[in-house]
Amino acid sequence: MDILNPTKPLSSSLFNTHFRKPTLLLNSKILKLKPQIHTLYSNNNKTSGLSVTIVTCSKLKTSKEIKDKDKNASGKILLSNSAPPVLSEESGGGGNGEKVPVKTGTGALGFLKRLPRKVLAVLSNLPLAIGEMFSIAVLMALGTLIDQGEAPEFYFQKFPEENPLLGFFTWKWVLTLGFDHMYSSPVFLGMLALLGVSLMACTYTTQIPLAKVARRWNYLHSADAIRKQEFSDNLPRASVQDLGVILMGSGYEGLAGRFSPIGVHLAMLLIMAGATLSATGSFRGSVTVPQGLNFVVGDVLGPSGFLSTPTEAFNTEVHVNRFYMDYYDGGDIKQFHTDLSLFDLNGKEVMRKTISVNDPLRYGGITMYQTDWSISALQVRKDDEGPFNLAMAPLKISGDNKLYGTFLPVGDVNSPNVKGISMLARDLQSIVLYDQEGKFVGVRRPNSKLPIDIDGMKIIIEDAIGSSGLELKTDPGVPVVYAGFGALMLTTCLSYLSHSQLIASFCVHFVSYSGKSKIWALQDGTAVIVGGKTNRAKAEFQYEIDFLLDKVPEIVESSLSKQSDVASG
Amino acid sequence: MIFLTLEHILTHISFSVVSIVIIIHFLTLLVNEFVGLYDSSEKGMLTTFFCLTGLLITRWIYSGHLPISDLYESLIFLSWIFSIIHMVPYFKKHKNYLSTITAPSTFFTQGFATWGLLTDMHQSKILVPALQSQWLIMHVSMMVSGYAALLCGSLLSAALLVITFRKVIRIVGKNNNLLNDSFPVDEIQYMMEKKSILKNTFFPSSRNYYRFQLIQQLDHWGFRILSIGFLFLTIGILSGAVWANEAWGSYWNWDPKETWAFITWTIFAIYFHTRTNKNLEGLNSAIVASIGFLIIWICYFGVNLLGIGLHSYGSFTLISN
Repeated sequence: MDILNPTKPLSSSLFNTHFRKPTLLLNSKILKLKPQIHTLYSNNNKTSGLSVTIVTCSKLKTSKEIKDKDKNASGKILLSNSAPPVLSEESGGGGNGEKVPVKTGTGALGFLKRLPRKVLAVLSNLPLAIGEMFSIAVLMALGTLIDQGEAPEFYFQKFPEENPLLGFFTWKWVLTLGFDHMYSSPVFLGMLALLGVSLMACTYTTQIPLAKVARRWNYLHSADAIRKQEFSDNLPRASVQDLGVILMGSGYEGLAGRFSPIGVHLAMLLIMAGATLSATGSFRGSVTVPQGLNFVVGDVLGPSGFLSTPTEAFNTEVHVNRFYMDYYDGGDIKQFHTDLSLFDLNGKEVMRKTISVNDPLRYGGITMYQTDWSISALQVRKDDEGPFNLAMAPLKISGDNKLYGTFLPVGDVNSPNVKGISMLARDLQSIVLYDQEGKFVGVRRPNSKLPIDIDGMKIIIEDAIGSSGLELKTDPGVPVVYAGFGALMLTTCLSYLSHSQLIASFCVHFVSYSGKSKIWALQDGTAVIVGGKTNRAKAEFQYEIDFLLDKVPEIVESSLSKQSDVASG
Repeated sequence: MIFLTLEHILTHISFSVVSIVIIIHFLTLLVNEFVGLYDSSEKGMLTTFFCLTGLLITRWIYSGHLPISDLYESLIFLSWIFSIIHMVPYFKKHKNYLSTITAPSTFFTQGFATWGLLTDMHQSKILVPALQSQWLIMHVSMMVSGYAALLCGSLLSAALLVITFRKVIRIVGKNNNLLNDSFPVDEIQYMMEKKSILKNTFFPSSRNYYRFQLIQQLDHWGFRILSIGFLFLTIGILSGAVWANEAWGSYWNWDPKETWAFITWTIFAIYFHTRTNKNLEGLNSAIVASIGFLIIWICYFGVNLLGIGLHSYGSFTLISN
């Protein structure tokens, strides 16, 4: 039974330390001290104030029978360096179904008093939260499966009453429940709101026990207090960090592991609050402006909710100085840019910037994105007449490939079957010309000034004028959402790291609120004072503490450490 | 041209090496006497890793942008991440059963990427305007790493389910020695030890004992790798949202791809919640993680197959001529 050997080395990095193996204590300068001294000490000297509260987590119990047996005996160990816990651990969530004796006369009042507590208990119920998350996931999936934002006729056709999907799902379901605009449907938003409330309830109910634990720390500053615990021990030449590593590796959780889930929840709430603010307080709008023209910001933006209030900056006039594109060698569009100037009410230029996709302009809370483009006109010279401005019409706008075309009539414009020259363009690079019969004639670049001869006419394409597709928005929710993003990233990292033993060696404060036994530890000079308390079987807990403390490595003076390393190696 | 040839060579080397590694894996499972084979399979995975790294670098130089802009490239990247996950325990001198998941995963992704039906996607394409951003590297690499880790973790959970529901595991019974050697037993071992002593419940037979230990291992490793996958997924989604706020005009657009990424995130959030509850942990969390496996594939592939939404860069059609 090799695995039952308690001297199995731990994987954590332990600098300048020894394991408490007798073989390592050959060096006479290392004092060998009895690992467990269950005595009360009265010295109340300087203690470093480090306190460790560690609680067994139930995660590692997986065998069913063990779990059942252990149900009422989960262990909680708090390590700290001073006063004993004054408050006993209790579930602060209010969901423990405690019985308050209520007299018949005050029954209604009592019920009202208990109602918030009951509601809180229901809302912070984990299966409910899981159910909510699951329903949200299902609704979102439905939202991607059902085409969104189509006209009712589309749904009549797609989900006909004669042939219902799965035997019941018809357009009535889609339209009544608002699944044609899933992500703003009452069902979905209600579910999100419910999840938000659950998050709040859960955060609130877990916050209370944590606050209690935090309050208890204040009592745990003296070594005396720890020694007054049911179990106490003194480990000379040890460090709290090493103990933390050992406890973390043995199913105890520390402070980070307890606080970070709450942090994740708070971050989620922050994101939800920001998203609500975005949904109710923003303005959006899009506009396609040909090069050289102006528009006023306020004309484009439309409010999205009741909190949307226009600002000074809405009077800003935007002038599209230039619209141009970059191309790859192969001719594909690489990037498109718009040179924008912003003028205030007095006609003074307040800002000028060339925007492109991925590089928006921000001014006074308004963001302008480059999202689209089109070709608005061709400047054409015919037999040195002109130039004429020929408006381009979109011929194909589906998909990524755009196609624009225009027509230069030739001869009698008023005749019923007027003929002329057709010009087609996919981008601003080159124009394809067709003659009156529709036959391909040639390709010209807009700025080449190279004439092309079609049926005796000399055509010069002077310029192709593009339009810039801009999207404008104001969104007061973005800073809040970004704060939530930052918090979520940080707390997710923390939750991940709190499971690794690496972090245990840096953390000194550990806390948990589940489980029934606690361990406090305090660094007192070179010694660690450990105290414990349990609600479960005392003998078992004692055994567990002894077992864990046996593993705590002994610190050797640094001058000796090298020597001893050699000896042990 | 030289790049294309190099790419071709590297693709074929990595794929053949992975195939050999898989065969070796099966051999070591069947005949546990060949201890040397385990080492050679590790060396094979190392070779695969270097080939894939070379492939990605070649493509990077050749195309001028980070090679994760379409499905083929992201598949190569995915198998590269799998090979990294495979090697991390190897470098930490841990032998574990993650390799039985990562090696076939590399094989399948690599196989699918080089599959004949997708050959027209192999040419590196130009980067559309919306993709020309610094965020591309962060977003896509985080998402694909997240997918890779979550896939591994959910496969481990699925394995846990299979083992739990099977009455007898012959392999486990037969290869006691092998298992005993290869378990990186630190925490679990200690816990087992503690429990056995405390409860005086020794397992009736060694077979059940090893089975229990294997389940513990799967649970533990599944949780660890899912944790890191979830972290990557979170960072990936958030960086995607920030990018979308730069490029598309809003940090959230309910685009099918991002919706499915969020669904994936929700499913694994449920997984972590089931683990915090004593009554739900164990099998239930494993079931949730296994559902997550399907969801990831829908998110990663299904949405591309439909070719809908703003994330249409990676879309492809199965019937291609």
